[in-house]
Amino acid sequence: MGDVLSEPSTAPVQLAQVSYRYPSARGFALRDISLTVRRGEFLGIIGPTGAGKTTLCLALNGIVPQFYGGKFYGRITVAGLDTLSVPVNTLARYVGTVFEDPETQLVTTSVENEVAFALENLSVPRAEMRSRISWALQVVRLAGYEKRHPYDLSAGQKQRLAIAAALAVRPALLVLDEPTSQLDPMGVREVFAVVRRLNRELGMTLVMVSHAAEAMAEYADRVAVLDAGRLVALGTPRQVYAQVGMLQGLALRPPQVTRTFHLIGQWREVRTPLPVRMAEARPRLPHLAAQLPPSCPPPPPPAEHQSPPQLSVRHLSHTFGDGTQALRDVSLEIRAGEYVLIAGQNGGGKTTLVKHFLNLLQPTAGQVLLDGVETRTLPISTLARRIGYVAQNPDQQIFSTTVQDEVAFALRNLGVPPDERRARVRGSLTAMRLWERRDAHPLALPRGDRTRVVIAAVLAMRPDIIVFDEPTTGQDFRGARAILEITHQLHRQGKTVIVITHHLYLMAAYAERMIVLRDGQLLLDAPLRAALREEQTLAQAYLAPPQAVQLARALGQLGARPMPWITPEEVAACFAPDGGRV
Amino acid sequence: MTESPLGEEREVRSFGGIAVDGAPVAYIISLAGVVTVLAFIPLSVVLGGGSSFPMSQGVYPLVGWILGPVAGALSSSIGALVGALVAPYTTSVIWVTITSAIVGSFTAGAMVDGGPRRHWWIPLAALFTLSYLLYAGRAVVQNGVELLPALLGSFIDWSALLLFILPTRTLAARWIGSSDMRRVATGLFLGTWIAAGLSHLTASTVMYFIINWPNPVWMMMAPMAPVEHAVRSLIGAVVGSGVIAGMRAAGLVKPRWAMY
Amino acid sequence: MKPLALQTVARDSYFTRLDFRTKLLLAFVVSWVAFLWESTLLVGGLAGAMLLLCLLAGVRWAYVRSTLSLLLPFFGIVLLTHGFFNVTQVERLTGQHALTPWFTFPADWWGVGGAMLSREGVSYGLSVVFRTLTLLLVLPLLVFTTDVDDMIVGLGRLGIPYKFAFIFSATLRFVPLLFEEAQTIIEAQRLRGLAVEHMRTLRRWRVYARVAVPLILGSLVKSQQLEIVLQAKAFSGSSQRTYLHETHLRRDDKVLLCLAALMGLAALVAYYGWGIGSFGHP
Repeated sequence: MGDVLSEPSTAPVQLAQVSYRYPSARGFALRDISLTVRRGEFLGIIGPTGAGKTTLCLALNGIVPQFYGGKFYGRITVAGLDTLSVPVNTLARYVGTVFEDPETQLVTTSVENEVAFALENLSVPRAEMRSRISWALQVVRLAGYEKRHPYDLSAGQKQRLAIAAALAVRPALLVLDEPTSQLDPMGVREVFAVVRRLNRELGMTLVMVSHAAEAMAEYADRVAVLDAGRLVALGTPRQVYAQVGMLQGLALRPPQVTRTFHLIGQWREVRTPLPVRMAEARPRLPHLAAQLPPSCPPPPPPAEHQSPPQLSVRHLSHTFGDGTQALRDVSLEIRAGEYVLIAGQNGGGKTTLVKHFLNLLQPTAGQVLLDGVETRTLPISTLARRIGYVAQNPDQQIFSTTVQDEVAFALRNLGVPPDERRARVRGSLTAMRLWERRDAHPLALPRGDRTRVVIAAVLAMRPDIIVFDEPTTGQDFRGARAILEITHQLHRQGKTVIVITHHLYLMAAYAERMIVLRDGQLLLDAPLRAALREEQTLAQAYLAPPQAVQLARALGQLGARPMPWITPEEVAACFAPDGGRV
Repeated sequence: MTESPLGEEREVRSFGGIAVDGAPVAYIISLAGVVTVLAFIPLSVVLGGGSSFPMSQGVYPLVGWILGPVAGALSSSIGALVGALVAPYTTSVIWVTITSAIVGSFTAGAMVDGGPRRHWWIPLAALFTLSYLLYAGRAVVQNGVELLPALLGSFIDWSALLLFILPTRTLAARWIGSSDMRRVATGLFLGTWIAAGLSHLTASTVMYFIINWPNPVWMMMAPMAPVEHAVRSLIGAVVGSGVIAGMRAAGLVKPRWAMY
Repeated sequence: MKPLALQTVARDSYFTRLDFRTKLLLAFVVSWVAFLWESTLLVGGLAGAMLLLCLLAGVRWAYVRSTLSLLLPFFGIVLLTHGFFNVTQVERLTGQHALTPWFTFPADWWGVGGAMLSREGVSYGLSVVFRTLTLLLVLPLLVFTTDVDDMIVGLGRLGIPYKFAFIFSATLRFVPLLFEEAQTIIEAQRLRGLAVEHMRTLRRWRVYARVAVPLILGSLVKSQQLEIVLQAKAFSGSSQRTYLHETHLRRDDKVLLCLAALMGLAALVAYYGWGIGSFGHP
């Protein structure tokens, strides 16, 4: 363990005027970046999609430019080695890298082989390898899992295994490129716990890209902001996240606590620097509570839907062939025009529940009814006309060679006459702002557009219920908001919208009702505003209410009155001089 | 963005990725995995009985056109091997399954129109001719199968051999490389007929040593085998044109000996 | 869903302790002998021995049974076609001018009237069945008794470049994921109104083909990420590396390797020298 700390006395990473352009690209992916990462430091990197974050990570281990080629300017040294002069497989001794996708980065058939893989490539002797494997697995708390196939691990465990594999090399620097963006809340928590331990207890130098603003503010020593390949800000989380205007301009998200204080600061006296962690905000709350006006505007009443239930789930249980009980006695009703959020751990039963709506799975016990008819009695093609399902990965839902063929695909299958088909394709593509790209191959479009192609294809079937399964996973703030805006529009058109997600902070402005599943059981089903305040119940599903909700509750306790607010805007509005308009 | 970067320009020595015969190892792994998965999808030709063949047979040639002959053969054979290992009941004789995967991809990859590998087809053609003699020839000469059933029953084999020896070999290659997707699809159909046909020939030769089908089976094969082979070629054309269009659109790295 | 993996036997046995290289040579020799021999008695014995060895090594009976039941129709066809129709070849092999009738359809039966099932034909058919069976059982005996890690190291020791062995093990790693993806794609297609069960055969093939396209493209797109991952893990494709797992030939392995090689050779000499193993001879 001592090895981790015994690094060269120089700074582990130095970038001097680094610029880089990919071959055949017109613009620079990195531009004039100068930066020093100190020993034992945790440097966070944030920036919108395309800002150059991943390129920067790959430059640290020499893959950029040694693998890609292209034009490189300036110099990067890692542990004193020039990343252009030393081969990548030598640099791999000094830089451990953890990537976003938990699946692709595990390349062997067992946990111990995975940790051993890089060591074997580096010709580490067997006895040394054994001791490092056992040490690394212990650090990430996977000891005892040595013989497991990666397939048997949860996503959080997979990422911890990836960290162990990087760690076993005993690198001078550990680079983590969005390691939590595809994880459920428990996975995120596990990974951050390991990362914090590495940094705080073992003194490991870390560079980590993440959109998780709250966690970044909590753990990072400094945060670097990239935009269009340039380093536009660098400082402590407090210095960086306090620049709320700058972050908004880049479509980045500060922690909710910072945003809330920033908004309140428009009307009330708020000391700077703005808090970036809940712990920093708490001591300041009495001062704020004292400034609360006698009354705040009441929250909007929960949406009322009087129509008869569109979807009814009655005592639904589902047991898979291998004996796994995925759903246990779940009962709920969804009415036409509702916007429902379904949250919970992976494996909690969310997708299993939705698959019953579509007859992709049939109940082991109980019933699922669509407008009073059991879905198990209806053909999937009939259900697909009524319930549109947008899965997470667009590439698994695209089958045609042009955008318009893709949208017409379902209509042809459903026997829609050619004239109407053309009209629907046009309408659907126009609504998704894709009509101009109708002749393009879907794979020639960026990922966000591909997701919209899938949504267009689903909308063309004119379903009245639309399910979005983890639409915000792996998206940056701008991408996630763009998709949620679409759900909002559809909801306003009267569609029933069901969104499965872990990102509660994004949903407060959209959903009306929240359903939480845990271990296949219904844990919570309530209007969103009430549900987000059920802190203890949410904790059972490893969910935490957004910081705005926590702030509102703390303020309410100090002011001895209910504060049912769930977004930074709502909390701040209470402090507005005109009584509620932000 | 017009001003030049502040840092000094460095000499970049790009080594590219880890490759086998110019095809990235990661591609070889991916396509091997696909071959394994497709080995699980049986396609039966004649309703209510008759034979069935795994869908992977339709994509062996495609793997050769994407990765080139050597990497293609490696990928297909490993895919077929893994398929046989995880589900041994999907294959009867593992050596034959692997050989037919190798031949399907290698032959496809060797159907080049010009370049340093333009003569690779000659030894292959000699080998396949020998193989045909050991198969249909042995059936007639040694095992008393009548000539007509032998010829009809092995139609896909000798037609593939003929099309491989004639300039149709390079015609298919040219079409697969065309920018017109209809030509690509036609080229894929023709090419799959040839390469999968020769793969079938090799497998049949080995299997015939074991099974020695008598006359009536050759007669039964006469109408069935071409239909089955047409389906195999159709699969190659449909899958191949979708994949090639996608690879071109997504700008995926093209292996050195890729033919699309 | 359980991952698709090798059904490695749970039991520790003589076979599991043998080196992969020894088992590979044994498998080759047995396959070679099964390919060579046509004698019903001898290949029957060989198939029986393989079956027994499989069960002794811990290959589950359920597995053997399902494999056999899948092949039963094929074996039936083999027996009938050879029994009824393989005359010329069997006469040549046995040196007989007429085969021994076992059963003949009455002459007035439509289509099959007069057809004769010969004893020698059925016997030849049986030998084909036994040969196929032997070749079929070699695989589980070789593979299910070997740990994947031992295979990789064993392949390396045989001089197979590590790159190739790695491609093999990485394929095993990613296959379960690809299966899941194929499942997701099929579901996505059904949700776009494709009702495979109601389709004509030709249309159904096209649908299957459409599953393969996103599957292949998706995996190729992902493989670009895999390239980067391999770089970051210091993978160079070189065989100059160390291995976590080790394997070495023990005394038993060496003895068996010699025996197997001698057996292969002996079978060849006996077949061509004295006709042992050929059809009609012992």
